[in-house]
Amino acid sequence: MKTKRYLLTGIGVLVLAATSASAAESRVWTDTQGRKVQAAFIKLDGDTIYLQTADGTVYPLPVARFSAEDQALAKSLKPAEDANVLAQVPTNATAAQAAAKIDQLVKMGLQRGNLKMAEAYKKSAAEEMKAGKQPKPYKPLAENPKCSDEQFVRRVYIDIVGRIPSYEETAAFLKSGSTTKRAELIDKLLDSDGYVSAAYDYFADMFRVKDKFDGADFVRGLPYTQWLKEQIAKNQPWNKIAYEMITANGKVWNNGAAGYLLRDSGMPLDNLANTLTVFLGTDVACAQCHDHPFTDWTQMQFYQMASFFGATTTRLNGKDFANGDPGKKLQEDLVYQIEKTGGDPKKFRNLIGNVIGANRYEVRDRETNSMKLPHDYKYKDGAPNDPVAPKLIMWSPKDKENPAYKAVEAELGTKAASKSKKAKEASMAQNSEGLRDTFGKWMVADTNPRFAMTIANRLWARAFGLGFTQSVKSIDSVEEASNPELLKHLGNEMVRLKFNMKDFMRVLYNTQTYQREATTEDLAMGEPYYFQGPILRRMTAEQAWDSYMTLVLGEGLDKIKNTEADPYGRAIDMDLEKTTMQTLASKITALQNLNKEAQKKMGGSLADAGGKTATKGGKASKDDEDMMMEDKIVNYNGMKLMRASELEQPAPPGHFLREFGQSERLVGDSNSKAGSVPQVLTLMNGKAQDMLTNKDSLIHRTLKTARDPAEKTEMVFLSVLSRHPTLREKDIAKKEIQAHGDEGYSNMIWALINTREFTFVQ
Amino acid sequence: MSNPFKKWDAESRREFMLRTAKATLGVSVLSHADKVMAAAEAAPAGKGGKAKSVIYLYMAGGMSHIDTWDPKTGDTKGPKDPISTNADMKLGGYMTNMAKQADKITVVRSMSSKTGVHEAGTYVMKTGYEPRGTIVHPSLGSWGQHFLGKVSKTLPSSVTIGGGGGPGAGFFPPALAPVPIGDPDRGLQNVTSSANGESFNKRIALMNEFDSAFKDKFKSSEVKAYNDFYDETLKLLKSEDLKAFDLSQEDTATKEMYGAGQLGRGCLLARRLVQNGVRFVEVVSGGWDMHNYIDDAMGKTGAAMDKAFAALIEDLKRTGLLDSTLVVMGSEFGRTPRINENSGRDHFPKAYSTVFAGGGVKGGYVYGSTNAEGSEVADKQVTVQDFIATIGCAMGLPVDKVVFSPSGRPFTVGDKGTVVADIFA
Repeated sequence: MKTKRYLLTGIGVLVLAATSASAAESRVWTDTQGRKVQAAFIKLDGDTIYLQTADGTVYPLPVARFSAEDQALAKSLKPAEDANVLAQVPTNATAAQAAAKIDQLVKMGLQRGNLKMAEAYKKSAAEEMKAGKQPKPYKPLAENPKCSDEQFVRRVYIDIVGRIPSYEETAAFLKSGSTTKRAELIDKLLDSDGYVSAAYDYFADMFRVKDKFDGADFVRGLPYTQWLKEQIAKNQPWNKIAYEMITANGKVWNNGAAGYLLRDSGMPLDNLANTLTVFLGTDVACAQCHDHPFTDWTQMQFYQMASFFGATTTRLNGKDFANGDPGKKLQEDLVYQIEKTGGDPKKFRNLIGNVIGANRYEVRDRETNSMKLPHDYKYKDGAPNDPVAPKLIMWSPKDKENPAYKAVEAELGTKAASKSKKAKEASMAQNSEGLRDTFGKWMVADTNPRFAMTIANRLWARAFGLGFTQSVKSIDSVEEASNPELLKHLGNEMVRLKFNMKDFMRVLYNTQTYQREATTEDLAMGEPYYFQGPILRRMTAEQAWDSYMTLVLGEGLDKIKNTEADPYGRAIDMDLEKTTMQTLASKITALQNLNKEAQKKMGGSLADAGGKTATKGGKASKDDEDMMMEDKIVNYNGMKLMRASELEQPAPPGHFLREFGQSERLVGDSNSKAGSVPQVLTLMNGKAQDMLTNKDSLIHRTLKTARDPAEKTEMVFLSVLSRHPTLREKDIAKKEIQAHGDEGYSNMIWALINTREFTFVQ
Repeated sequence: MSNPFKKWDAESRREFMLRTAKATLGVSVLSHADKVMAAAEAAPAGKGGKAKSVIYLYMAGGMSHIDTWDPKTGDTKGPKDPISTNADMKLGGYMTNMAKQADKITVVRSMSSKTGVHEAGTYVMKTGYEPRGTIVHPSLGSWGQHFLGKVSKTLPSSVTIGGGGGPGAGFFPPALAPVPIGDPDRGLQNVTSSANGESFNKRIALMNEFDSAFKDKFKSSEVKAYNDFYDETLKLLKSEDLKAFDLSQEDTATKEMYGAGQLGRGCLLARRLVQNGVRFVEVVSGGWDMHNYIDDAMGKTGAAMDKAFAALIEDLKRTGLLDSTLVVMGSEFGRTPRINENSGRDHFPKAYSTVFAGGGVKGGYVYGSTNAEGSEVADKQVTVQDFIATIGCAMGLPVDKVVFSPSGRPFTVGDKGTVVADIFA
């Protein structure tokens, strides 16, 4: 058995002695250096041989490490019947089992990395020896130590609910003696309101969700935002969410999913470029205007993909109504009426036009596919303005055999292949029906080569601070990822879990890898990261703002919701073909009243904010919670005290959120984590900072419940940094309070919020 | 099929890194970078390159060209007759103060843009690029900092007054974004602390003590960058440079000369900033979307602009800054020659005007023209890309130089527009 251990250790796995070689296929495998292992052949997949040892564990091993005979044998052997299942975790595995499999793959990746680095080290050491220098001994990368409960509680709250834990939440977790308290907390947080806000913030940045759609003054993103939150709240599977967005019809207030295409009304090609990036991890934006200079995508391929959306409109015109566009006449009638009754029509004409105009924004499929090559098309495979038939891109030649592609082929038939321009136009016209549906089904198919892997890579990056590829927007080559086996495995896991994002995240958060300390040193530029633990990351703008809000409002914060979507939808919705002048007039009044209605929800002061929990010594009763939900929205110096997810999307320029890097939502995934002087000024002297050091703030009121200065210091540290102060810090705090009295607490709060420890998540 | 960044040749990659480092860290840090780059980009051949600073007056909403810089006498004339000036050009009837400064300006009357929508039009007038859902392009101030570095250790290189959002640094690092100032009277945001001086220092000391363990443990470049931003901010707060943002330092007569409105105050602040070395100041002023009652609107917004613009030119001249400061006025489009049923004018991108003054530009000069109605460019059409490239050239930026975004896409100042060299003296 010694030989077997040797081979697997070399490749990176320590195997316990296996006593029986029960499987008939079990044989001895030899590597290029003569080391041996007894194992059963499972399958050969690309450059990886999957072998199963007697204890049932399946190991993916690079084919190149095996002897020439074994390589040849692997190519001739048939895969085991249950090969694909064996290589994964059981269908009904628990989160803990699935997490263990991931930890194993991380470990193997790390060991592979060590092998590679050791080889590189050997070379550089030899050179140094030649130059007469004594090289430093090679220190292999090791997994980071397990993180403390203090580190864990802060990290897991920020990652899952998007804010720091409140004082009570931190204290309760640290006090608990349960041996499974980490797993319990993960479950609790995944089921909380805060999870919805945090996940929404991530997707809003990714999808570039905006309140104000460009061009259409009165079409607002509110119903789209609300729809997205609802999907997250009911844990709608990712493939269903994506399919609905691609195939939605209607106006945004009747079908929030339509917001995805309406967001980009007038720029369908940009929308497609984003679709491919967001859902399929494929960056083809260059190919929109010319053949991609670095990769293989051509402009023709881009337009062929765009052709799936060639029959879709996002803005109705005269042709879309049975008797022409009724809007113009409606507008003139009402203007005339206003004039007749002594009003000033000039004041109302634009407003009326905007309300009517907003009702022209609707996703609808027309009868013809009008996709054409651009007027400046310059490649040989087509002429400018030629119609383009829909055709799917492929990432590898084997995609042809993929069921997802076969299904599309069957639906599109052979019409698209016709040669002459006339025939093409005719066939595309016949073929305009259900194009988006065909595309949508292909996109979200379990077997789509990129769909599951893309969201898996993104959610991994959310938990660990980094994906397996340089950018989550682009998985050009799976084999070039930092851990290709793990990336593929996570894609399979996503399918196994039926795109249930909560369950997927539950697995990730339960890994030992997630629960390790953050890596302290810089990641080497251009070098793969082997996930010794999560990486240190700055809070996102939303996490920072929501953490401030936690200090002001406590955990009740998560219950305060934006409710503007429904009244807005009711106020603006009209069927232009049936609307009378009177209805139109009432719509305009209703819209003008929306602001007044929103104002009624504002009220209350800092001194009441989140107050009930604080004054009762940390125990909120059921009554308090109900009151919190009815509570008005507090306005502090012009800032609405709500979570980022409930505020305007994105927040207006100059807002804390924007200073801290919230995306302008023009381009996907562009939340910034970089600093700047104006940002630091905001952290030092901004209104939000001023609010926390204000004596009425929740954190100050919480301090009043403490018995003595020592306990107050504990509370300040637990509230702001989610940890106990060290002895040294207690000493500094004591001196500060002796010198400045109560003002000393404000100074400490200010100081702690301005530390890098607060801003970075470890 | 992998990271496009890898596909660059070694030189482009090194240059991108140096540039990014230089622009982010400041001129003093990487003197080597300076040398490498100075060799790479001499100022553009021939004209331009005289403007050490630029003040870009942006008239948000779409400034009517006929009522300001390209007056007409026929049916499309509008409420007021054209007026004569101290140069060989006529201006719209509301431009009474600018009529006395006409000898110092170049009017470009042959602008033409492709978009009649505010957001898209504004975006292209600030970046030279059509908006895309897949990238944000840098504004001119950020291009300036990218090529020329920071102007000082404490002062920002570019400032936007009254503008709010905008494309900012685009695909460059956020440290290259213009510093926004909402209200010129209030100056830079958040420079005053609720704690007094001594108390503030105490807080900083506490912060450093409480943070020391964390900083010792995490020595990553991201954490260090934050430490540097805190240091830089503290330096600014103690620096005399803060006064550059403080309008209360100006006397009443000067304030009155500029006018009390947002634009007047903004122009005055712009002059102070330029005087202190800020390279690019954008002043945004709204009220130009004159769909209704254009005569009233011009009487207010137009007159305030006329007063502020004229005061700025005169003041720059007086302080000796006009030769090294380019003042530009632009807007997302012009307005329809025909007056609409609401006595206003609607969006009109097909033909409109921009104005240049100082910074090495001819005075009393008109470039290009429109037809008698002001509805078509008649001569020497200037695209938005040409306009941006011309400003870039005046600043001494290498407008032909291709710069790659981190995603590996190629861009230039003004999207390969042609510099209108004819307007330079």
